[in-house]
Amino acid sequence: MTTVADELRAVAADAGVTAWVSAHRIGEPESAVSWQEDVPVPMASLYKLPLALGWAQLVTEGGLDPLAPVLLSPENRSPGLTGVAMLLDEVRISQRDAVRLMLAVSDNACSDLLLRLVGRERLARLLSETGLADVEVRHGSAESLRIIQRETGATDPALAERALASPDVDVTTSEYDAALASAATAAGICRVLDALWRRSGPAYDLVRDAMAHQAWRHRIGSGFPHDDVVVHGKTGTLARLRHEAAVVAFPGEQPVAVTVLTRAARAERHLPRVDAAIGELARIAVGPLRRATETAHPAR
Amino acid sequence: MDLIRHLRFFLAVAEERHFGRAAASLGMTQPPLSQGLGRLEQRLGVRLFDRDARGVRITPAGRSLLPRAEELVGSADAFLTDAAAWSVEPVLRVGLAADLEHLVGVLVATRAGLECEVRPVVAGSAELVDEVKGGALDVAVVRHPGVADGVVVGPVHTLATSVAAQQETDLRTTALPVVVPPRRWHPAAHDQLVDSLRRIGHSGRVLEVADTLARQALVAVGHAVGVRPGCGDGEGSAPPLRFRVVQPVPADRQPGLDHERAAAGLEQALAAIGLSA
Repeated sequence: MTTVADELRAVAADAGVTAWVSAHRIGEPESAVSWQEDVPVPMASLYKLPLALGWAQLVTEGGLDPLAPVLLSPENRSPGLTGVAMLLDEVRISQRDAVRLMLAVSDNACSDLLLRLVGRERLARLLSETGLADVEVRHGSAESLRIIQRETGATDPALAERALASPDVDVTTSEYDAALASAATAAGICRVLDALWRRSGPAYDLVRDAMAHQAWRHRIGSGFPHDDVVVHGKTGTLARLRHEAAVVAFPGEQPVAVTVLTRAARAERHLPRVDAAIGELARIAVGPLRRATETAHPAR
Repeated sequence: MDLIRHLRFFLAVAEERHFGRAAASLGMTQPPLSQGLGRLEQRLGVRLFDRDARGVRITPAGRSLLPRAEELVGSADAFLTDAAAWSVEPVLRVGLAADLEHLVGVLVATRAGLECEVRPVVAGSAELVDEVKGGALDVAVVRHPGVADGVVVGPVHTLATSVAAQQETDLRTTALPVVVPPRRWHPAAHDQLVDSLRRIGHSGRVLEVADTLARQALVAVGHAVGVRPGCGDGEGSAPPLRFRVVQPVPADRQPGLDHERAAAGLEQALAAIGLSA
């Protein structure tokens, strides 16, 4: 008999990736389907999910004002390919809009701003109190880019990215090392999603809504190409690392949190086959967990 | 604790009644010997020697335990001698990626730099990595890129290639398919080759054929072209193929073989193929 783990392994092997997968129904972490789910993996931009959780908790407790405006000038904000990070001029933005851009388009400038506001140590404490000690945010996007540039000897982030994409040299960086980069287990990231979905309040509503607006559907979304299935996702990409964590909601069914982390054997920047395999891995993991909302609560 | 090793310390000090001389007789320095003996005494909960300004004296407990220790160390030595008589000369099991089959002779002729029998295995790279991981192969040359978790990987060797064809063929314009080993043998490397073929302008099919002779036959009768590493004709019309030497992590290595030297020998052979291309 083919087990789910066999299927996950076969898809990962076919795509030429190492994969770490975890999925469970929201509110039922014991319902897990998983593959190498307890291995810490550098999480790339997925660190923005625990950061959003910490921000929402601080807002809910009154420690941060979601409407407070912040000035982001080109000189003191992080570079990036999307959102405010790609703009040319000064931007004045509220904290909650920064959260929307961080989650919908993975805006590095907004993410680093929010990490400064929440504070790395305060975030670590909040995560640890939530039982998420295996989710470790060690630094933000700008620092990550600086590290890669320093280690590849590149003069700008684009050249560093190109160095890591060389097919002829096995270029490596400490950002691939779970002990040095921001890192988490696939199971840990699923528990971040679980907390975001189970907690109530305007700040958590805002985080969930921003994730529904994610710009990309080429990874987990590609495994659920159905117009009536809602995928609230967040991708993370750093050279050979391609990740996504999402909550998949079929109408009339309990939502399922799923995290797929991958490291490709190929170094090239565009690997559509790997993106599609992430959708396939998510679909295989979510399948056995699908359950109608009514039967999930027989007591009601 | 390695009991036999620590008992050797005990015997040496009992024999020499002097730490410096005992250490010299064991070919070591005094501090690790003293520490080792201390550990043994702690582990046994028994003081074996009294040390003071006048020297080292064996305790009554030490004297009483000494014959048993001599017996144990003697048995261990006899055991190792007997085992050595049963051991056979190690055979170096070398894996070679299917694309290198025409170079098996060259690669094996280097004998990987070792004076021992070499047994080559030609297979798909994913399978070779799995076998190296389990220690069933001692070293392998595999296609890169490919997932290589749990093995030690060497640097990437990029080998120029030439088009193997019945008559001179330009990959950009030919309608002939390119025949290669099956994708599942090395999915990432296969995809990279296909992407490169598309990039240079080949728009024909890519035929996956497992059997070496069948691939050669298709080329010989002019039904397909092949991509051969290490015999570049300088045209640069065929994309390069990439390889890596992989070996087991130290815990999985067959004893009695110099894996690092075997790997280095294959690295050199690969580099030479690259240069001759």
